[in-house]
Amino acid sequence: MTTTLQKPAELQQTVPPAGATRPKRLGQRAVGFFMALPPILLIALFVGFPIVLAFGFSIGLTGGLNHTIATIGQNVHEADAWWGTLAAYQEMFTNKRFLGDLLVTVIVTLVSTATVIFLALGIGLYLKLKGGRMARLLSGLAIVPLFIPVVIASWAILTFYSGTGFLRSVFALFGLDFPVWAFTMVTVIIGSVWTSLPFSVLMISSGLQSVPNAMIEAARDAGAGSLRTIVSVIVPMAAVPIIIATTFTAIGIIGSFTVPYFTGPNSPNMLGVDMSNYFSAFNQPQQSAVMAFTVFLIASGIAALYVWANFRSAKEQGKV
Amino acid sequence: MAITTGSRAASRTRRPLTLDSIVRGALVGLFVVLMVVFILGPLLWLGVRAFAGNWTFPNLLPDDWTLRWWQVVVNDGALGVAVQNSLFFAPLTVLVSAIICLPAAYAFARFDFPGRRFFLISLFATNAFPKMGLFVTLAALFYALNLMNSVLGILVVHVLGTVVFMTWIPAAAFAAVPRNLEEAARDAGASKLRVFASVTLPMALPGIIVAAVMSFLASFDEAQGTYLVGAPAFMTMPTQMYSLVLNYPTQVAAVFSILLAIPSVALMLVAHKHILGGQLAEGFQIK
Repeated sequence: MTTTLQKPAELQQTVPPAGATRPKRLGQRAVGFFMALPPILLIALFVGFPIVLAFGFSIGLTGGLNHTIATIGQNVHEADAWWGTLAAYQEMFTNKRFLGDLLVTVIVTLVSTATVIFLALGIGLYLKLKGGRMARLLSGLAIVPLFIPVVIASWAILTFYSGTGFLRSVFALFGLDFPVWAFTMVTVIIGSVWTSLPFSVLMISSGLQSVPNAMIEAARDAGAGSLRTIVSVIVPMAAVPIIIATTFTAIGIIGSFTVPYFTGPNSPNMLGVDMSNYFSAFNQPQQSAVMAFTVFLIASGIAALYVWANFRSAKEQGKV
Repeated sequence: MAITTGSRAASRTRRPLTLDSIVRGALVGLFVVLMVVFILGPLLWLGVRAFAGNWTFPNLLPDDWTLRWWQVVVNDGALGVAVQNSLFFAPLTVLVSAIICLPAAYAFARFDFPGRRFFLISLFATNAFPKMGLFVTLAALFYALNLMNSVLGILVVHVLGTVVFMTWIPAAAFAAVPRNLEEAARDAGASKLRVFASVTLPMALPGIIVAAVMSFLASFDEAQGTYLVGAPAFMTMPTQMYSLVLNYPTQVAAVFSILLAIPSVALMLVAHKHILGGQLAEGFQIK
C-alpha cells in the first residue's frame, strides 16, 4: 500500500533536471556502472567464486581448481555420482565433536549478541533521554574497544579473568575464592561482548539520536510513561539501525576466531577455531569446508534480515 | 544544545532528593563502575604486566618494576620482522583498496545505473559470510593459483576486509555533499574536475579519512586470514601474537601488545571525532 502511494515521490527524485538529455543520461549510467565495477569484480573473484568452488569441494567434486587441495588434504570424500556426494556432510553431522561445537557456537552467538544489543540500547537511551557528562562518559567508554586490536583484547581479557587475574586477586584479598573463567565459554562470551560493543553503540546511539525529540514529548504529553515511550515510540523509530547492529554483531561473533582461540577451552569450542584446526592442524580441508557452509547457512539467515531491514527503510523513504 | 542542558540542570536542582532518585543514581553509578572494570580493567591489567618483574598472586601490583621485557622485544629479530611486515601491508592495503573502491563509492553516490542496489548489497557479502569460513573457502582457490604464502595472497585477504569500509562510508559522504553546491560552482565557470577537487572532495574528506583509518586498522589487526594464508612465511604483528603467547613469558606479549596498540590508538584519536560524529554509522545504511 504505502509503496504505491510513495511512487510519485520516487519519480520526482530521479527525473533529471531540465538540462539533461537522454543520451547523456545513458552515458552517465554507463560511467557509473563501470566505476562501480572493480570492487564487485574483486568480490566476485575472491568471495563468490571461492564459495562456489569450495561448495563443490565439500560435496566431493575434486577436479579442476579443487585438484590441488584435494591432493594435499586427507580424508577427502570423492564424488560417487555426477552431482557429488554428501559423505563429508554425513561424516560431520554424525561427529559428536562437531555437533557440540555447533551448539556452543549458536549459544555463544545468541547470548553475546543479546548482551551487546541490551548494553548498546541502554547506553544509547541514556544518552538520548538523560544526556549529560555521565552519559557521554559511558558512551566514550563503550567505544574504547574499537581502538584495540582483537588479538590484544582477547589476550588481555584472558589474563584478567585467569587464575592469577584481577578478579581472583581482589576476591583473594578478602579471603574469597572467585572462579577461574579463563579457558571457559564465559570468557569467550565476555570477549565477544567486549569486542562487538563499539559498533553497536555507534549504530544504535546514532539511530536513537535521530528520533525527533518532538515525538518523544508528544508521547509523554499523551500520558505515556518512560517505559511506554521507549518501547512503543523510540525503539520502533530506530528499528533499522538496531537491526543492522544486531545482524553485524551476530555475524561477526558466529564466525569469530581470535576471541575463542585465545580465551576458550580446547573442546568444545566455537566453529571458527574448529574450522582452522581441521584445516591446518588435522589437514582435513573438506571437513573444514563443511563447517564453513554450516556457518554460512546460519549467517545467511541473519544477513537476509539485514537486507530486509535496509529495503524496509528505503521503502519508508520512498526510494524503492 | 547548551540551553536545553541548562534548563534540565535547573529543573533537576529544583526537584527534591527522594529515595527513588538516590537509588536510581546509585544504580547508574554502579553500572558505570562495572563498565569501567569491564572495559578498561583488562587493558590496565595487561599494561602493568609490561613493566612487571615478579608478581605474587593475590597482590594487585607487581613486587618490582623492570624495563627488561622491552629490551627482549627490541632485540628479538622475529618480532622486528613482524613489525616490518605489518607496516608494509597496512599502508599498501589502504592504497590498493582506495584505488579500487573510491571511484565506486563516488558512482554509488552520484550515478543511477542498472544493478546499483544489487552491487551495494553484494559488497556486503564480505561481511555476510563469517570470516573464518571465507578464508577456508578462499584457501582452495589460493592453492590452485599458487597464492598461498605469497605477498599478493595476503594483500587480497587484507583488501577484502576493507572493501565495505572503503565503499560504503565514502559513498555516504559523497552523497551528503549538496548537489546545488556543486552546480553553483559549475555555474561560476569551474570545470568538472575543479568542482570535484575543490568542492566535492574536501566536503567528503572526513568520510574518506574514516574509511582509510578503518581500513588501515582492519589490515593492521587482520590475524585469522593472514595466519591461514601467510604463516609461517609471512608473520605480521597480530599473527606473531599467536605464537608469542605460547612461546614467550607473558610480559613479552604484554610489551608487544602495547606496541601493536600504538598505531591503532593514534589513528583512532585522529579520526574519533568523525567516527563518533556518525560517519561510520551513516555508511552502514544502504540508500
